[in-house]
Amino acid sequence: MTTKLLKFTLNGEMTEVAVSPSDMLVDVIRDRLNLIGTKKGCGKGECGACTVIMNGEAVNSCLVPAMKAMGAAVETIEGIGGPEKFHPLQESFMDLGAIQCGFCTPGMIMSSKALLDKNVNPTSEEVREAIAGNICRCTGYVKIEEAVFAAAKKMRENQIGRDRNEQF
Amino acid sequence: MLQDYLLPESVADAIEVLKSGNGQARIIAGGTDLLLDIADGKKEAVCLVDITRIPELKKITLEDGVIRVGAAVTHNQAAKSELINEKAFALAQAARSVGSLQIRNSGTVVGNVVNAQPAADTAVALVALGAVAEIASPGGVDLVPVEKMYAGIGKSAVDSTARLVTGVKFPARSKNQGSAFVRLAQRRALALPMLNVAVMVSLEEDRFQWVRIAMAPVGPGPVRATGAEEFLRGAAVDPEVIKKAAREAAVQADPRDSALRGSREYRLAVLPVLVRRALEMAVAQAKR
Amino acid sequence: MSSFNVVGQNVRRLDAVEKASGTAVFSTDFKLPGMLYGKVLRSPYPHARIVNIDTSGAEKLPGVKAVATHKNTPREKFNTSATMTFTVPTYEPVLDQYIFDNVVRYVGDEVAAVAAVSEQVAEEALKLIRVEYEPLPAVFDPLEAMSPEAPVIHECATGKNIPGEIIRIPFGDIEKGLAESDVIIEEHFKVPVQKQVQMETQAAVAQVGADGKITVWSTTQTPHPSRMILSKVFGVPHSKIRVLNPPYVGGGFGVRIGLSAKAEPIAVALAMLARKPVKVVYSRKEDFIASDTRHGGYVTVKLGARKDGAFHAIQMKGILNAGAYCSFSCETPGVLGAMGLAVYRIPHQYYYGHSVYTNTTPSGAMRGFGNPQAMFAIESVVDMMAEKLGMDPLELRLKNIMRVGDPWCLPYKCSSTGLAQCIERGARSIGWERRGKLNRPGDKKLRGIGMGVGTHVSNAWPFCVDYDNAYVTIQQDGSVHLAAGVPDIGTGTSTTLPQFVAEVLGVRLDQVSMAFADTLTTPFDIGSHASRTCYAAGTAVVAAARDARKQILDYAADFLKVAPEGLDIKDSVIYVTGPNVGAECAGTGVCRAGGGERTSVTLKELAYHAHLRNKQFIGVGRIVPDNAPPWHAHFAEVEVDTETGQVRVIKMAAAHDVGKAINPGIVEGQIEGGVLMGVGYALSEEIRYDEKGRQLQDSIHKYMLPTAEDRPEIDAIIVEAEDPTGPFGAKGVGETGLVPTAGAVANAVYNAAGIRLKEIPLTPEKVFRALQEKRGEA
Ligand code: FES
Ligand code: FES
Repeated sequence: MTTKLLKFTLNGEMTEVAVSPSDMLVDVIRDRLNLIGTKKGCGKGECGACTVIMNGEAVNSCLVPAMKAMGAAVETIEGIGGPEKFHPLQESFMDLGAIQCGFCTPGMIMSSKALLDKNVNPTSEEVREAIAGNICRCTGYVKIEEAVFAAAKKMRENQIGRDRNEQF
Repeated sequence: MLQDYLLPESVADAIEVLKSGNGQARIIAGGTDLLLDIADGKKEAVCLVDITRIPELKKITLEDGVIRVGAAVTHNQAAKSELINEKAFALAQAARSVGSLQIRNSGTVVGNVVNAQPAADTAVALVALGAVAEIASPGGVDLVPVEKMYAGIGKSAVDSTARLVTGVKFPARSKNQGSAFVRLAQRRALALPMLNVAVMVSLEEDRFQWVRIAMAPVGPGPVRATGAEEFLRGAAVDPEVIKKAAREAAVQADPRDSALRGSREYRLAVLPVLVRRALEMAVAQAKR
Repeated sequence: MSSFNVVGQNVRRLDAVEKASGTAVFSTDFKLPGMLYGKVLRSPYPHARIVNIDTSGAEKLPGVKAVATHKNTPREKFNTSATMTFTVPTYEPVLDQYIFDNVVRYVGDEVAAVAAVSEQVAEEALKLIRVEYEPLPAVFDPLEAMSPEAPVIHECATGKNIPGEIIRIPFGDIEKGLAESDVIIEEHFKVPVQKQVQMETQAAVAQVGADGKITVWSTTQTPHPSRMILSKVFGVPHSKIRVLNPPYVGGGFGVRIGLSAKAEPIAVALAMLARKPVKVVYSRKEDFIASDTRHGGYVTVKLGARKDGAFHAIQMKGILNAGAYCSFSCETPGVLGAMGLAVYRIPHQYYYGHSVYTNTTPSGAMRGFGNPQAMFAIESVVDMMAEKLGMDPLELRLKNIMRVGDPWCLPYKCSSTGLAQCIERGARSIGWERRGKLNRPGDKKLRGIGMGVGTHVSNAWPFCVDYDNAYVTIQQDGSVHLAAGVPDIGTGTSTTLPQFVAEVLGVRLDQVSMAFADTLTTPFDIGSHASRTCYAAGTAVVAAARDARKQILDYAADFLKVAPEGLDIKDSVIYVTGPNVGAECAGTGVCRAGGGERTSVTLKELAYHAHLRNKQFIGVGRIVPDNAPPWHAHFAEVEVDTETGQVRVIKMAAAHDVGKAINPGIVEGQIEGGVLMGVGYALSEEIRYDEKGRQLQDSIHKYMLPTAEDRPEIDAIIVEAEDPTGPFGAKGVGETGLVPTAGAVANAVYNAAGIRLKEIPLTPEKVFRALQEKRGEA
């Protein structure tokens, strides 16, 4: 089988990995690059557990041929924050009980981040649209939606803070 | 077995690859269905030709009253486009109904048509909008109405190992016109429709000038309710007339019994409701 | 009410950081050096004999390291569910399956498995296995499966295709009760097959050491019972098998009480053959078709009442579809009956129930375990009774619900109930007084409000053997280690159990760490299911913590020269209690309450002091839990589109008496998740079969569980009628969120549109037909 060298930016770092044309991005991320935060719940675009952000948009990495990532910027849960500094979404998911089994969590957070990156003041319809492709069987989505709104609020405040700092 | 994956940056290059591939190279856009089909052995390809890096295919444009949606335009791009929302509302609504946001971010409007599934939401909208597909091949460019793109259930009239659909185009609505899309599904996301209907109406004062009604899945591809369209031509815009037309539309529907998506009987019974609701919405838009 | 430091607080989950940062490890993430990938060949027939199986082609494929079939794997019968390890005497567990058999009994049944260097190679190899089947007649409906013409799926002593025993629950005198009733309503209900659809599919990684020791990392909800099953299947002593979660599990909802379908035994069998570690991960389709579902079937309710509305007699019957193998099919009909009968004080009761084998996917445990089936039927009939009696359904329920101390059919006491309060608060949330005033003539979309109530268990006893152990060990630096054998399948076990320890010991929660879900590092426990971990495992944990506390205080008493009764612990400081003890008098000697120089000592100092004198504080909890009833009242507001038959749930008010809520946020989360699963059960979720025995819904795309865009507003209301038997008054909650939901929704649909459906889910087509029929009658 022919392999190709996939070059892309993963969580801000230039990454090179040999892939075959039939490889899916999710498997490259999980198995080859060992970033297990991106989950695989179906492999068919039905559950959203594998959601990553590619060039600013949330996509199911199980439906993305790895080669499509050529030259792209891909973000996974590992890239958005960690114990040193959590992303506001991670903080609010932890604080508001939006995490139960945690299997949907990385995908859910990535879908939410793709939304908030573009719109820090979403309506509840927009939040639901953003996460409707992420199945969560544990939470009933209630606390997840609350967490997205809480994070949005925090991001708005941070933005105001930043804007102020820039002014002075 | 898949050997190669190419990302050409022009239509000419893509066509060239198809030509030299001799039926072994296949066009891929969003790829949300194709890769699964290849994995399941339903489709074959040695080389995939990804067209999503071709700049001109990524655009939605309006020129001389004609909207053109390039083959790499995603569902979400169409759903969020101000132009589509304003000038081709049915398509915006249809695109918004597909799968989930992640799928809408990958899958393309044109891919939905080429995939030729009977209930493809955007194909139904495009038929109602009177869309025509541009198909490029080494021999030149053909124009084919979207309605004629179905060669059977799940079978496209376009051979993606030989030709490339570069986009679809259709007239933008004018002031007296409106379009709408409605859908009956068991769930609000991640569900194929039990029924979907798209209509476009053109009004002249209080009368219908002309109407296009497309319905699915009630045949191999979107089905035009020509009888109802004929009935409405020149008819008064009136709730009773609309109701009658909606009943008339169902006469041309031939849904199958589906254990998953409802019996033929049920779908025939509720189809007029959807047609009526779509007509009412489109009329309201035309009157605004 | 007494106030606590940690118990009752919304503390952040201890697993949150790992799960939010993407570093939490699940079975599907787990890897070992040299690990192979296992894939399973499954039957395309619902019932067939395997005449011949030729694996030579697969074996020759490069990269294939082992092929397992019924010919080279143990011929030891078992039951994938934990029932084989905890069936209560004198019942006998039903053992009716092998890893692979020479007969297949449903579409998806295991035929063979391959271990290879990659998933792709393993899948290729499956295609090279040649199997010759002799198709046998098949049956898919439990009622048909009992008929003389039906094929025998397993030989059964009790009756045609009936596994285990018939469950009969007599109470009072049913004949007399019915004869004395003024109004009797009898109705038949049909309930669907629901699927757990936990987000992580069944998975296991098995390693067989050079010394023959077996280690299995898997998604099981019950590591200890799973080890017992594997021990029996492979003839290896318990002491040489370790089963653990890695440590997280992507949901359970009952689907892996016992083995994770057959992921564990297949992985072990392949690992033994290949002499390499093997990972088996079910595809989503395999998870749908080849791992336990909720029982579908038939429920009949005959309810008799006096003119004044007092329920007087209830007769129930439950015939459930067991599917092709027994799993929990002996217990589920029992829980269906017992829970159904336990809600109302009815002097004369009788229940008869059992399961029936069919050639469908095995049914097993799923959240609620028979109870949602019972309550859909009962709560529908109670509503019908209210109408017949001309009473408000809410008042009728209030009049009849169980009170503390009332006699009932269960072998433990009704020791607490907050149901009346649940009804009151739920009614307020939904606006019960608006009921019947929501529509205007001519409306095409009709609104309605309905309610349903129910109870449940707080552990598995008396339906299963149920006991718990825990160790609480004070480390040499005063931090605390808890070991308990229950997994955390997402329900918060690894947070709430440490909360108990922190509360009892008077230490901060961040001082407590926990070993869980591992047979090597934790004492035996029957696992996370039956809404039991907080209540039952919690009781053991509290006992262990109290034991450790006593040891600490005894030691500290010597150290501080004071009687242990005069000591308390707060923030890891053991201090002498009394009116004059405080910061200002510390060390002055004046207000000293003890006989020593000091009035306090940190746990850190004390533990180290003890360590240097050859002592460690180790608390042990060994308990047999009692049982206690949680209660719940659900209120649904729905909108029925009378032109299409579509039903939308606008709001669910779900009031739950959970006893003391140890972590209210986690409790709300359990309720909200359960409610949405219940809405799915009511409206859209089901697996049906085609005439060839194939599952029609075998993917998330086809199986209509709710997405975020489908969810109604959910008001989770916590009512705390503390139970004297529970740790800090806690009761079970995990399963309860969906027990009364379908009944509430169906009653709301009736209230909206006047149609009474006796079969769920209430799909648009069913509702549309019912509306048509109603119009036809009118
Ligand atoms: S794993 Fe990609 S959507 Fe489920
Ligand atoms: S937290 Fe378990 S699936 Fe979402």
